[in-house]
Amino acid sequence: MSAPPEVSVDAHLVSHPRFIQFVRLLAGEGASLAGFADEDRDRIELAVVEGFTNVIRHGYGGKTDQRVDIRLEAPPGRLRIELVDWATFVDPAKIVSRPLDHVRPGGLGVHLMKSTMDVVDYLKNAHGGTTLVLEKRVSPT
Amino acid sequence: MPGMSVTSEALPKGVLLTVEGQIDMHTSPDLRAKLRECLEKKANPILVDLTKVGFIDSSGLATLIEALQAVGRYGGKLRLFGLVPAVRNLFKLSKLFTIFDIRESREDATR
Repeated sequence: MSAPPEVSVDAHLVSHPRFIQFVRLLAGEGASLAGFADEDRDRIELAVVEGFTNVIRHGYGGKTDQRVDIRLEAPPGRLRIELVDWATFVDPAKIVSRPLDHVRPGGLGVHLMKSTMDVVDYLKNAHGGTTLVLEKRVSPT
Repeated sequence: MPGMSVTSEALPKGVLLTVEGQIDMHTSPDLRAKLRECLEKKANPILVDLTKVGFIDSSGLATLIEALQAVGRYGGKLRLFGLVPAVRNLFKLSKLFTIFDIRESREDATR
């Protein structure tokens, strides 16, 4: 069987929740092309949607007309997705999830990203905003 | 792209909400509004059919947690059923599987 094709996508969106479904489908298709099985594909979709939602809610404070870029690459054996914003960089140490045993609405996004991806990293980018890096390796079958 | 739809059906006992699509930051306000209608009437139980929901994110979970807490304040029950694998895994990842009353089918949920 030949190796899955390499994938590289660079999409420019705005920070509106109506793009969440598009973001999910993009992540899912990228995951499938990179060779991930259905369960991991679901997890990648969830992590990327959580990241995009956090950019809207926390990065841009709910503003729905701000720029968000999504870069998706699938070198052999892994998938790397970057969410690039032009908001204010936030110290990653201040980005925390709520304790899971405190059942209340909200505060789960970071936990879901960290529990589904191998790498969750927040980098200060050239625009002064944040580049969220999400990476996952394809599990050997 | 379709977002989400919610239909409401009065049962001899309680209300059934049938959700179709994905529940996320964009669509969850519509589900929250439907749940509020049920909560204002103190419907009991509130059954939520998730058979045709392929994806829920943390905003959707927050909506369901709010409803669970609100229904508990008047002694009512909220039951979910028909979870597809992706949604089932989300509840497990969030450690919410034992917090919610999750049933396999409508028949189970109405018992």
